[in-house]
Amino acid sequence: MEKQHIDATFCENCQSEILVNNNFCRVCGQAQNLKEVSFHANKKQNLQQIALFFAIEIIVCISALLIENHTIAISLFFDFVMAITAILFFCNNWSENKFILKWPNFSIKKVVGLVVVTVIVSYIVQFLVGHLNRFIFNEDYSFYFTYAFHKYGNYIMVLSVALLPALFEELAYRGFLMQRLLNIVDEKEAIYITSILFFFIHFSMISFFWMLPFGLLLAYVRIKTNTLWYGVIMHFFFNLTACFVEIYDFSNLGF
Amino acid sequence: MENQQLNLCACCANTFAQNDSYCISCGYPLQGTNEQQENHIANRAVKEIDLIDLNKKVETACNSLYWIAGIIGVSSIIGYFTLTDEDDVLIFLITTVIMVGAFLALAVWSKTKPTTALISGLSLYVIIQLLNLIADPSSIIRGIIFKIIIIVYLIKGVMAVLEAEKIKKELNIK
Repeated sequence: MEKQHIDATFCENCQSEILVNNNFCRVCGQAQNLKEVSFHANKKQNLQQIALFFAIEIIVCISALLIENHTIAISLFFDFVMAITAILFFCNNWSENKFILKWPNFSIKKVVGLVVVTVIVSYIVQFLVGHLNRFIFNEDYSFYFTYAFHKYGNYIMVLSVALLPALFEELAYRGFLMQRLLNIVDEKEAIYITSILFFFIHFSMISFFWMLPFGLLLAYVRIKTNTLWYGVIMHFFFNLTACFVEIYDFSNLGF
Repeated sequence: MENQQLNLCACCANTFAQNDSYCISCGYPLQGTNEQQENHIANRAVKEIDLIDLNKKVETACNSLYWIAGIIGVSSIIGYFTLTDEDDVLIFLITTVIMVGAFLALAVWSKTKPTTALISGLSLYVIIQLLNLIADPSSIIRGIIFKIIIIVYLIKGVMAVLEAEKIKKELNIK
């Protein structure tokens, strides 16, 4: 009888020679998936961290909703709170998370390509969202008024709408949350969950047709490139385009 | 090996070689004492029963996603007839359709990706309840027992998925 060739390996416990497809060592009885078992043992703790993180995010975002008159100071205050939350959670497991802050295989071509695509997509989305809001809600939602009457309003708007969220939402979702989730589920599910939670936290049902795909793309790029920075740049340019559309619209109206 | 005897493990019925001390498929102590062998079988049986329990919990949690979709649907139909002229029918309908659709989609998805669907369903349900609370503080009281039951089932479901995977790994079932 000819036997199929199967690679040999050594038992994790007693170093006897066994086959790679053996679940248990035939000499000492040790299960050969110790790493997987210990990986699964830490899941609950990771899940608790995620639950705490998301609960804080929800509380902060809901408190932001409760305030009716958004001033520049209030916007910046919430940006600041989100930033602190993201940094604290991210740094809690600093040694495990720090590698995604590096930028291996920096490619200017990739950056330019992604930025161009992001700007085009963002412009189309702004256009569609504007029409949808007018059609369904009969209103023009704009964050421009918060900043319009300040001397450096435009600069503060870019800071508060584009730069800070790009940095700290990425750090929180594609950074902390993704790293925790990778300890619980596989890459595919981690991509799905981060994008879905990222979409939920914006409290905007109408935006599912672009926010979900955008979240998926950011998460996918983060997994494929093993760095946070492509996501940060894309997120920044996405929001920046929204800012420019607002500024342009309102300058046409004579503000 | 001409006179090969068919040796079957007493625990998992896998074939084993004559000189093996443990079953390579389930870790059964082939050369162990009676006590060791009985312990091994008992331990595995306990874990397998746990696994069945956990899978039931996951199933209940997945079904509660259907329940959420149904309840939102029914309460919206009731709500539809109590709408006043000032309320915007279009916004009401779009909101309802999206929410019912979202929970139905999650419920279907939970059959293949239970972790993702249950975590998403739980988050969405909690967020919806909190947003309702802001819009109308009295809304939290309505059906509070039902809401708590749903949330408990979902949380238990998420925990059970993770626990079930852990036990599968301990049993070394692929």
